[in-house]
Amino acid sequence: MQTAYIASYTRTPFTFARKGALATVRPDHLGATAIRGLLAKTGVPGNEIEDVVWGCAFPEGEQGLNIGRITGLLAGLPETTAGATVNRWCGSSVQAVQMAAGMLVMGAGEAFIAGGAESMTRVPMMGFNIAPPPEWPADHVADFINVGLTAERVARDYGVDRETQEAFALASQQKAVAAQAAGRLADEITPVETAAGLVDADGCPRETSLEKLSTLKPAFLEGGSVTAGTSSPMTDAATALLICSEDFLKRHNLTPLARIAGFGVSGCAPGIMGMGPVESSRKAMKRAGITMNDIDVIEMNEAFASQAEACRRELEIDPAKLNIDGGAIALGHPLGGTGGRLVGKTASLLQREGGRYGLATQCIGGGMGIAMVLEAA
Amino acid sequence: MTGTVYGADATGVKRACVIGAGSMGGGIAAQFANAGIPVDLLDMPDDAGGAGPAEAGLARQIKVGGFMSPKAAKLVRPGTTDDLVRAAEADWIVEAIIEDLAAKRDFYARLDAVRKPGSTVSSNTSTLKRADLVAGLSEGFDRDFVISHFFNPPRHMQLLEIVSGPASDAASVARAHEAGRVLLGKTKVDCRDTPGFIANRIGCYWMAMAVLEAQAQGLTVEEADAVIASFGVPATGVFGLLDLIGIDLIPLVWGSLIRSLPATDGFQSYDLAGSALAQDMVAKGRLGRKAKGGFYRKTSEGAREALDLVTRNYRPEVRPAPMRDLKALIEGGGKLGDYAWTVLARLVSYTAQVSGEIAHDLPSIDTAVALGYGWREGPFAQADRIGAAYIADRLRAEGQAMPDLIAKAADHGRFIDRAATRATRPMIAQNDAARLEDAGDGIGIFRITTKMGVFAPEVFEVLDHAIALAEGKLKALVLAPGSERAFSAGADLARFLELAEEPTKLEAFLARGQTAFSALRQAPMPVVASVRGLALGGGCEITLHADHVVAHAEVRFGLPEPKLGILPGWGGCTRMFERLSNPQTGAVGPAAVAARAVELLLPGPTATSAAEARGLHLLRDTDDIVMHTGDVEAVALSRAREMIDGYTPSPEAFLAVAGPSGVAGALSTSRAHHAAGRIDAVTMTVATELASVLTGGERGDPARPMPEAEMRELERAAFLRMAARDTTRQTMLATIRR
Repeated sequence: MQTAYIASYTRTPFTFARKGALATVRPDHLGATAIRGLLAKTGVPGNEIEDVVWGCAFPEGEQGLNIGRITGLLAGLPETTAGATVNRWCGSSVQAVQMAAGMLVMGAGEAFIAGGAESMTRVPMMGFNIAPPPEWPADHVADFINVGLTAERVARDYGVDRETQEAFALASQQKAVAAQAAGRLADEITPVETAAGLVDADGCPRETSLEKLSTLKPAFLEGGSVTAGTSSPMTDAATALLICSEDFLKRHNLTPLARIAGFGVSGCAPGIMGMGPVESSRKAMKRAGITMNDIDVIEMNEAFASQAEACRRELEIDPAKLNIDGGAIALGHPLGGTGGRLVGKTASLLQREGGRYGLATQCIGGGMGIAMVLEAA
Repeated sequence: MTGTVYGADATGVKRACVIGAGSMGGGIAAQFANAGIPVDLLDMPDDAGGAGPAEAGLARQIKVGGFMSPKAAKLVRPGTTDDLVRAAEADWIVEAIIEDLAAKRDFYARLDAVRKPGSTVSSNTSTLKRADLVAGLSEGFDRDFVISHFFNPPRHMQLLEIVSGPASDAASVARAHEAGRVLLGKTKVDCRDTPGFIANRIGCYWMAMAVLEAQAQGLTVEEADAVIASFGVPATGVFGLLDLIGIDLIPLVWGSLIRSLPATDGFQSYDLAGSALAQDMVAKGRLGRKAKGGFYRKTSEGAREALDLVTRNYRPEVRPAPMRDLKALIEGGGKLGDYAWTVLARLVSYTAQVSGEIAHDLPSIDTAVALGYGWREGPFAQADRIGAAYIADRLRAEGQAMPDLIAKAADHGRFIDRAATRATRPMIAQNDAARLEDAGDGIGIFRITTKMGVFAPEVFEVLDHAIALAEGKLKALVLAPGSERAFSAGADLARFLELAEEPTKLEAFLARGQTAFSALRQAPMPVVASVRGLALGGGCEITLHADHVVAHAEVRFGLPEPKLGILPGWGGCTRMFERLSNPQTGAVGPAAVAARAVELLLPGPTATSAAEARGLHLLRDTDDIVMHTGDVEAVALSRAREMIDGYTPSPEAFLAVAGPSGVAGALSTSRAHHAAGRIDAVTMTVATELASVLTGGERGDPARPMPEAEMRELERAAFLRMAARDTTRQTMLATIRR
């Protein structure tokens, strides 16, 4: 069996949906920019790529028509390189990496571009035509489509009060602002040309304070504890990774960031979807033959501070190892594009921080979790 | 057609420029923008050389409601007078800077150097003479320059006084007239070049005279204002009006006006600015409403007090009973009657004396004063109502001066002949609630004549009759207002509550409206709605069934039913669904259309302008917006005439509904707002009913286009369920009480 490596990672800037600098850019163009950036960074010719495995949470409208295939063509990849769209909602692009790696391991190709894109400006969250099975009762539907309420339920059931959520959110912002100021985010970003000029920096991180956060109104539940300040913002962005074999690395003289060492998906009650990372991470670590003690860096998506903190407690994660350049509350959460950032960031941090094992994990609407273990290469 | 108001192209004004971003300049710029005309708003640079003052002027207009839509505000480009070259793009340049002759002339010289040849330049001066303003400037400037005197606030005050000069270019003056009407919605009055023009010359005289005579004749301020109100002027009278304007303005406005008039002018007998009363008020800071006290004030406990004109102390207000019959009041004599006579006699005498000096004709004076001061009618119409002969006789009997004009009017019988101005149209059908007029050329005009145009059941008799005539006598139908204030305020709530007691009667009333409106839509003749004033509820729904709508820009359009716990039940939901199914409105796919429709209808959308109504899809982009209230019906008639040839009636619509699969999506936003405490449980029940109707109910299926009649049945059934709820009844009772 072959080993799947993460050879390189890049992403577009993450910017706010609607009011952000990338709101005018189609999601397939965002993705194509990221892929071109990846190829430029690695020097790999496009005709060596077997397939584009592309995550997207709401593949309709400008994200429809198999956005994976369209994105590859727009990026200038030859027609002989295939393209697929992968939908596991928020977990789509971790899944895309895993599917590329799975194909590679069974010998069905040796170089893949995996990643994903979401324009939450141009295709609304939950899509244009929400049509769940009509026999589902309203609260069941709400568990699927009002994820804010699931964050409230986790806050209540796992005892994460508002102050704790706000402290978590503030830390995320402070880490991201510091990383941005120190230039630690710049090398993962491929700038995007827009009609209004070049966009080369993340738009979401902001200076805030506990005082400011405490003034916000509950966003989802009357009398609740989750606010816009303790939720990840709607975001437009794309991320792309090069997944390849050891032979391919040697042939193209590439230095890998990490090898993929374990993976797991899991399901839970849709109403507490935020707890998904707990079981999926346990599965992925077990399959990699390690425990939390062996992990040096963790990128866990912060859909909401309540679920991220509850998962951190359940998995006994050392805060010093978690989201060290800030998480989604600060950086943004472009659904189908998020997983690629988590995996790519984990791999990059193993290089930068010098650890051995890393974990990338996130919760998924509808009640799922996804996790990938990486080992420094 | 979508960007600008009706007729804009023909005015030749494609871009405007307003200099001076005060409340008048900003308001005039906003009104150009309201017509869809891009406008530069320039003012002095701030200390940093930036456009701070113009930006502040723009911001103020946004705050005070100068704009009819947020989109209009984007058409205003603020800048500085350092960048005067921007005025070169404008076809009409309005100057509204400080009232200082030297400053204005200096500015005109700079402007003349950059402006486009033939562009109209106008000044919003209210005190300076045109002849003085253009002295020494180029001949070309003199030709293109007029005074355009707007009233505050420019969006709402209909009067535009225009002063041209002997050298004026007819085309330039005509452009100000035409663009003033078509773009800005103003009624122009041509004035002679005299101080205060017409409205303020007469209006300021009237206020000064009425105040000083009240004091001289020993009336209280409340008595005087009650007498004045009986003339058909706003209830503020004169003392209340001065409080509103600000008593600190008396020296500025009245003082400068009286100084600019000759010593022989009748105004000199009433020197308000020089009066001890006004000077005392200013000295004591009793400046009116802005100072929390003038001739009237409210105590901190909310009690109303009035100033005693003799002791100059405040005492509790004593309002006399309203006096409705001015003629009886005058003829009855006594303190109040004598005062009423004095005010009338002085007003008419002064106006008669100066009429030739200030105006080209008498109707101009009546129009200017009535529109400028909000009077029901001008001074000559008032005089005609009391009787020119009565006035002449009494002046003669009292040995007072008799202006020639009054003597002539007494001989002739009246000041202004009105007989020929209002031709009545032949009537085709009429009852207590509605009428059908014959406008000629096979065009009928249908009007609801009930109070506020509410839908009484009898309205449908005339409407049905009009529709039946489509096969013969009528080739087109215009739906028009029956009164100044309202096209139709919809159903009468009190009547509705009676009906709600008997569901079969209510259902019959619903079916009656639905049947009539559908028949109207499918009638083999074009139907054009001509909308002014209110068009709410059923009044809005009938317009949704018209082929075309011509709306006054200041219309109040809306479907407020959901606020009362019901839904638009005369085909309103169905027509809005159809409208939102058009991909151009943004929603694609059946569940998306239903979701968008619930989101739009649930708040009970009500627009306070035609532009807003367009944003809410209550008006289509193809419908016309007309700025001048007096032009709406004429435009509607002309549109109806244009549509007759080759007209094909709208076929029955088939609607792509989502069915039960779309309900959750249609409700997702409302449910999220409900969970977050932003909408209450009663509103949620309305949302649920709307979602059920707009997804096509249990039988809805995206694979089966639904005939529109089926959705109307769903509307009716949902309406009956909602009307039967206690909460609906309580909401309606509370609304009636309000």
